Amino acid sequence: MGFHFGVIRRMVSAMAKCSFNQVQIGGVVTCVPPLEKCIDDEIDLFGGNEKQIARLKKTIGLDRRRVVEPGTTAADLCEAAAKRLLEATSLAPEAIDAVICVTQTPDYSQPCNAAVLHGRLDLPKSCAALDVNLGCSGYVYGLWLAHMMVSAGGCERVLLLAGDTISRIVNPKDRAVAPLFGDGGSATLIQRSDSAGAAWFSLETDGKGFDKLIVPAGGQRAPSSAETQAEVTDEGGNVRSAENLFMDGAEIFNFSIVQEPKAVRDLVEYAGLDLNAVDYFVFHQANRYILSNIAKRLKIDPAKVPMQTVERYGNQSSASIPSAMCGELQDVLRGAETQRVLLSGFGVGLSWASVILDITGLPVCEIIESAPSE
Amino acid sequence: MSLAKFIEDFEEAVEDIEPGSLTAATQFRELEAWDSLAVLTVIAMVDAEYDVRLKADALKTCETLEALFAQVST
Repeated sequence: MGFHFGVIRRMVSAMAKCSFNQVQIGGVVTCVPPLEKCIDDEIDLFGGNEKQIARLKKTIGLDRRRVVEPGTTAADLCEAAAKRLLEATSLAPEAIDAVICVTQTPDYSQPCNAAVLHGRLDLPKSCAALDVNLGCSGYVYGLWLAHMMVSAGGCERVLLLAGDTISRIVNPKDRAVAPLFGDGGSATLIQRSDSAGAAWFSLETDGKGFDKLIVPAGGQRAPSSAETQAEVTDEGGNVRSAENLFMDGAEIFNFSIVQEPKAVRDLVEYAGLDLNAVDYFVFHQANRYILSNIAKRLKIDPAKVPMQTVERYGNQSSASIPSAMCGELQDVLRGAETQRVLLSGFGVGLSWASVILDITGLPVCEIIESAPSE
Repeated sequence: MSLAKFIEDFEEAVEDIEPGSLTAATQFRELEAWDSLAVLTVIAMVDAEYDVRLKADALKTCETLEALFAQVST
């Protein structure tokens, strides 16, 4: 990719909100691993407490989830999704000008997943490649970056790869997180378009809440050691080490039901629309309880809010929004009729981001399964 | 906004509680049904019914339902 900036063409408001024209999503594929786990099979994790499992199923909506086997990474899932996307859109690798990887579970601390996948996908040397270290809000952040890159003129087509294997960083003996998370990898094509459709974005952060959802050790602040690997049992009887994912469930729940409805209302207003103008609200698939609480506060029809993806695949972090698009919304997004969708992710950071955009007749919008690991 | 109504709402938000079995003096964190899931359902109930954003810390420090109601009604 090559370009230069002249006059800044768009004014950005004080908040991180902006809109784009003539950029569109050209296809989405999500890849899930074949191994399915179900909360019903985890009676030991709950100390034989079947009643608690029944309550979690009924109230939070926990059910099944797809998880990778040892040896499979988010990069593998994203690679499979990207290959299918390129095949279905009949695009040669040379047609891609930039690749963005959104992940919190990269193959290496360096180089970035985007560079690794650039090689595995045979992308050309003229292609830019970078990672974004974000989770549940990351898909929308990635779309925002891709829209900017296309809109700025340097890229005709950007490949957005968003995926995580959070199941590998949760402690299997931690009831607070282990039954929630599944794995997934996605590939989305963002390209220049002649159609008039607009896309409106808002991006927000509350870094003061950085420790509410965190892997405390293993980075430079608290390097890996015998101490950080030692498993500790907390007051609730959950077991984890400092290198496992920790989530303050109550605070994250609070954050979600307060910030999300507000962010959605603000963005709809910024776009000069009202909530009724949106055909589908695709929220990060955290769990059914959070999604239904957000829908209730926005007073939107639950039929417009996909919620089954999380029950089928688990909370797939950065891959959850594309997973809902490729699964529950597959037929409508492939249909000839234009759909105005609002996509909104929220989570680790704390970070949240939303976009309203139009999607018409995607040539590919599907879920595939990765090959079982050898 | 009454304490009696709050206790009713609380009983409904936490599953497996016999209606009318709790009082203002009930130490709710000692209840068998009190767990991390109950924390979420009570936060959601207080948000929906009272339009108050209850901090998770309040649920960890308040002793009785009366003390919790004081947090909600201030």
